[in-house]
Amino acid sequence: MLPAMSQPTDVVLDSAAAYPEINALRAALARRDWPACRTLLDSAGSMERTGLIRAVCEDEGLEGFLRAVLAADPADGAASALLGTHLIDVGWKIRTGARAQYVSREQFAAFHDWLRKAEQVLIDGAAYNPKDPAVWTARITSARGLQLGLAESRRRYDRLTAADPYHLPGQLQLLQMLCPKWDGSWEQVHEFARDAVGAAPAGGPHGVLIAEAHIEHVFDADNRAEMMGYLANEQVRAEIYQAAQRSIWHPGFGRGYGWIEALSSFALLFMLLDDQRAAAATFTAMGNLATRHPWDYLADDVVTQIQQARTWALGGKR
Amino acid sequence: MLPAMIRQLEVDGVPALLAPVSGPMHAGLVFRVGVADESPARRGITHLVEHLVLPGPAQVSSHLNSRTGTEHTYFHVQGSAERITEFLAGVCAALRRLPDGRMAAEKEVLRSEAAGRVSDPLPMRRHGARDFGMPSYPEWGLSGLAAEHLNEWIARYFTRDNAALWVAGDDLPEGLALDLPDGARQPAPAPSSVLPVTPAAFAGSGDRTAWDTAVRREARAAVFANVLERHLDRDLCRRSPIAGAVRTEYQPRAARTARITAFAEPLAGQRDAALHGLVEVLSAMRTGRIEADDVTTVVGLTCDGLREAEERGGRLPGQAFNVLAGLSVRSLDDAIAEVRAVTAPEVAEVAATAYDAGLLMTPAGTSADWAGYPAVPPGSGSVVTGRTRRSRTDRGLRLVHGDDGISLMTGETARTVRYDACAAVLAWPDGARELIGDDGIAVRVEPALFRHGEAVTSEIDARVPGAHRVGMPARDPGSIPRPRRGLWRTGSLSRPE
Repeated sequence: MLPAMSQPTDVVLDSAAAYPEINALRAALARRDWPACRTLLDSAGSMERTGLIRAVCEDEGLEGFLRAVLAADPADGAASALLGTHLIDVGWKIRTGARAQYVSREQFAAFHDWLRKAEQVLIDGAAYNPKDPAVWTARITSARGLQLGLAESRRRYDRLTAADPYHLPGQLQLLQMLCPKWDGSWEQVHEFARDAVGAAPAGGPHGVLIAEAHIEHVFDADNRAEMMGYLANEQVRAEIYQAAQRSIWHPGFGRGYGWIEALSSFALLFMLLDDQRAAAATFTAMGNLATRHPWDYLADDVVTQIQQARTWALGGKR
Repeated sequence: MLPAMIRQLEVDGVPALLAPVSGPMHAGLVFRVGVADESPARRGITHLVEHLVLPGPAQVSSHLNSRTGTEHTYFHVQGSAERITEFLAGVCAALRRLPDGRMAAEKEVLRSEAAGRVSDPLPMRRHGARDFGMPSYPEWGLSGLAAEHLNEWIARYFTRDNAALWVAGDDLPEGLALDLPDGARQPAPAPSSVLPVTPAAFAGSGDRTAWDTAVRREARAAVFANVLERHLDRDLCRRSPIAGAVRTEYQPRAARTARITAFAEPLAGQRDAALHGLVEVLSAMRTGRIEADDVTTVVGLTCDGLREAEERGGRLPGQAFNVLAGLSVRSLDDAIAEVRAVTAPEVAEVAATAYDAGLLMTPAGTSADWAGYPAVPPGSGSVVTGRTRRSRTDRGLRLVHGDDGISLMTGETARTVRYDACAAVLAWPDGARELIGDDGIAVRVEPALFRHGEAVTSEIDARVPGAHRVGMPARDPGSIPRPRRGLWRTGSLSRPE
């Protein structure tokens, strides 16, 4: 445990530092030891399992390996979810996270090809495992990339909630879809975040949905003045603090799925709100760990951004 | 309880089925002819014969009805033995001497009936402009049909040797006679296919999603169709409100195959979700996710339905169709035993076969390649040799016309109709022509859009036999495509070069 108010110099973005099981899964995957992978995935909680799948989906060469696993057992939901998530990830890397107008026609074509491959894997995965939340989480992501529309994304989300009512990884995916940059509106984003956080048990990481809704909204602003205006809104501020009370500041908040993501997002918001005390407490809880998102909304050099914010929060200058 | 048995008899050389019923007596005369026997230019001929024999829209109160189906056409009456004898004598007399004085009036009746029908494009996309694709086409033949065409049609299909009779009652009515001309049994056509691969998909013109498939005709396939409807209802109507209505249908065919269809009518704004929901249900069933409870329920309902139908004589028409197909008559017990034996794994087997042969109609402007349903090719690969004419308005549009046929090229896509495989040509008084290939591909020639386009019209008219020509009513002049020359002069548009 890090001593309070210490100032760690390095910033660790690797999610395995926050979730040690990831290393074990990576090792099993590197050995191409699927039974070991399954043991790790099957013993994880529902959200942890989806988190693990997303954490290792970048592994190169997964496609051939997992297709062989599925050929032997097409009903292996974990293999479908991991392969589908992997194919989506390959496609998204080609597309890049840039706004649509900066993505070339060729990039879009390749992106959609990969997503179509993912869809076919995931349709079968869902057919065999209609209650696998990792499969539905991936399908919400692919629906967004393939621009299948809000009605279809909502339908997939309904299938997800039927399997697991408060599945945060999938909720974060739907929240993206509800943003105006994809298919929705700010009213839909905030309403969804409020409803989902209100419904989920207190003390969990779900408060991050409200934090994310405001982060998406504030970074949609055209200029600094607009950003400041948005953050000055009393209702916005109140909602952010209420969400923190319900999650990261709740006595029951532990180190299960999503803890570092939640802290990282709230830390950014407290910095934007110029609340040094809240930011300091949040960075302290994070230690030297952090996540790339949402700091990448500030600049590409995420580590520098986090270091500067942390220095300011812990008593130094920005 | 009545003895569950169907007796096989003969009336004036026509095979007849007789079975006792608990309700009122009824009888039907069926001929092995239907829409699948028609050609596009004669489309509607069977229906017109049916209407001339039994005039007007059927009235429920009159206990008379008649129907032109894909493979069969029948005339049906409910009433006393005397009424049945009189009705069937009337049908035979009308076929012997067609009351063609009412031809124009009945054509009008058919046109107004057609206006209320929703077209089903799946048959045409699967089979082309022939046999089992014909139900997709409008009754284009009506305008050109004359008494001589109808009499030829009757002589071929409405004969003693191509008919079967069923009577639901204790005995054949006294004095029952079927005075029909002699002929020959006309087997139902074999279903052709224009699909290079299945599963496949094409975009429809509306919001609805539809799917059809072809499977072996057997009890497990019928059970599958009903289990599918229950799955669709659960996923698309009840789990989350996506579709206002879902429906499946099992249509047995003479050729020991059956067509199964599924439709989903989406709620407002839900058309993509309905498409995905339907695709998902089909995938789930293919992988063997069949609820055993559903199978048990459907089997129970089907057996109840069969028993109830037997009591009313409702199984008789289907058994008469069997007789016409050279199949044996099945007893109720056999039919029930076959249904009772159906298991969930057998339904899953049908689901897998059905999936592989599936054709999906997606909402307008959408596709389903992402789900493993490649698009049905929009045209044929080959282009005829001949003269190329570039469109006056659209630089990407070219027309090639030669001795063998016509090709219309839009960019890289070519649609070709060859004269030796041209099922029909629609002819408008303004010179426009639309050639319909046997494979269902349509090529529209708008002469105003091409330099010397009228020469192409004449060429088509000279090469397509008159029997394939369908005269179309004059178009509203405003709807005839023409080059928009005036616009350049107004200065509102700049010249492209």
